[in-house]
Amino acid sequence: MFLSKIKGSITTKGVVLFVSIQLVAIIVAFTLFGIIPVGSEVKKITTEFGLEGVRGNKLPAEKAVLLERVRDREHYESVLNSALSLSKTDSISLLIDLNDSLAILSLKGVSLFQSKISEIEFNRGLKKLPVYLRDSLYSGPFPVKKELASIEKFPIVIKKAPKDTTEASADDAAPILPIQNDVFVLFFLDNNLVIEINQQEHDLAGSKKAYKDFKANYSRFFRDHNFALIKDKNAPSYLYRLKISIPREEARSIYRALPIKPYVLVRY
Amino acid sequence: MKNNPSKLAFTLVTVFTAVAIILFSFRKSENLKELSYLFYSYPPVPGNYVSKDSLELEKLLKNTERRITTSLRRLENLLPYGPYLIINTTQNKFVLRTRKGIIREGICSTGSYILLDAGDGKQWMFKTPKGMFPILGKIVDPIWNKPDWAFVEESLPIPPRNHPDRLEYGTLGEYALTLGDGYLIHGTLYQRFLGLPVTHGCVRLGDDDLEMVFKNLNVGSRVYIF
Repeated sequence: MFLSKIKGSITTKGVVLFVSIQLVAIIVAFTLFGIIPVGSEVKKITTEFGLEGVRGNKLPAEKAVLLERVRDREHYESVLNSALSLSKTDSISLLIDLNDSLAILSLKGVSLFQSKISEIEFNRGLKKLPVYLRDSLYSGPFPVKKELASIEKFPIVIKKAPKDTTEASADDAAPILPIQNDVFVLFFLDNNLVIEINQQEHDLAGSKKAYKDFKANYSRFFRDHNFALIKDKNAPSYLYRLKISIPREEARSIYRALPIKPYVLVRY
Repeated sequence: MKNNPSKLAFTLVTVFTAVAIILFSFRKSENLKELSYLFYSYPPVPGNYVSKDSLELEKLLKNTERRITTSLRRLENLLPYGPYLIINTTQNKFVLRTRKGIIREGICSTGSYILLDAGDGKQWMFKTPKGMFPILGKIVDPIWNKPDWAFVEESLPIPPRNHPDRLEYGTLGEYALTLGDGYLIHGTLYQRFLGLPVTHGCVRLGDDDLEMVFKNLNVGSRVYIF
């Protein structure tokens, strides 16, 4: 009924009008949800680091290489200093060394566990951030503000005490083991950086529900961020994202070893 | 548009589609932001260093390298001088090592994360504590002084403190190392469960591994559990 009414009224003028309005909607949406937040982030960084007058300065290649080297060593120094400051705490912390492709757990300056990172992925904002700016964003250490995970931090199994000795001896025969779900973790750091630690295995070994629940929370996290952007002018307009993949069991060890709201340090 | 009803229908479809586009774009904001970054860039050199000449930069580099060496040395000094033990409670693995390298590695058993509920508000959580622990004592042929939960688990009456029924011989293997708060590193009769999280919080090792750990670690040696 409704469609037939429209069918009857389709004219070239109508089609042009319809397409034009939708194009305007696309442009408005792209501007509102893409250009404006990114533009404001770029402006914020440009102002914060005093880069307004820098554009256009061309350096001799030799000096540019030297500058790059200076920044690289300065960054390494800041990572070492952060590691030293973390060694004074009683908590286990995580160092993501993108230079050597390693995720390292450390406690009081002692490296407890290392996992080889098989895949590293940045989002475009992070990729475009020049080396000298990454330093302020990366090294840290930064505390985790929010975290999501597809596994529990503590795989607690509740067991009722046996009623009699027969029930007790039946319990003894086979140990109760925790369910081993797939491992996907998201850490949202204090500095606007989202670190995703994913299992490198593509096949799902655990329950599909746990995976789906994580994916739902994952989408909600970014949706909430976008809603916050509408409500609060001071909310971060852009999230920098770093994704790493490591073997499932190693990712599980890392997540479970870390305290709630741990400190994370990144070396590029 | 021929008449008013079809005009209204057209308007509705147009507005509905436009709203749908905007809502869909909102959902996909992350992708739009990624796309938008194509239009932006940052200057390639840091502002505060542009004015420095090569000599100044070389000097800066040298000073930074010197500070790096100092920091590396300070970090190295944080490592224990003697052998130390690292226990991974998730994978139930251990590594006995020194600064120079690994002495021995293998499987162990750690806390099961079982919460034993005996009713009347009595509960026990069987987890291995995490952190750094110095070895407080070394025992040969340890005797297990069974805590209350061991009787609750077997559905047996709980004897009074220091009652001889609490003492069990041979269960903890030939050696034990104490970590404090009742936590031990000891042997086990349940060798088949090594590599699984089945203990009440202590760390169980296989016989040969336990002997090696016992001989290499002294009172004060560090155990790192994560």
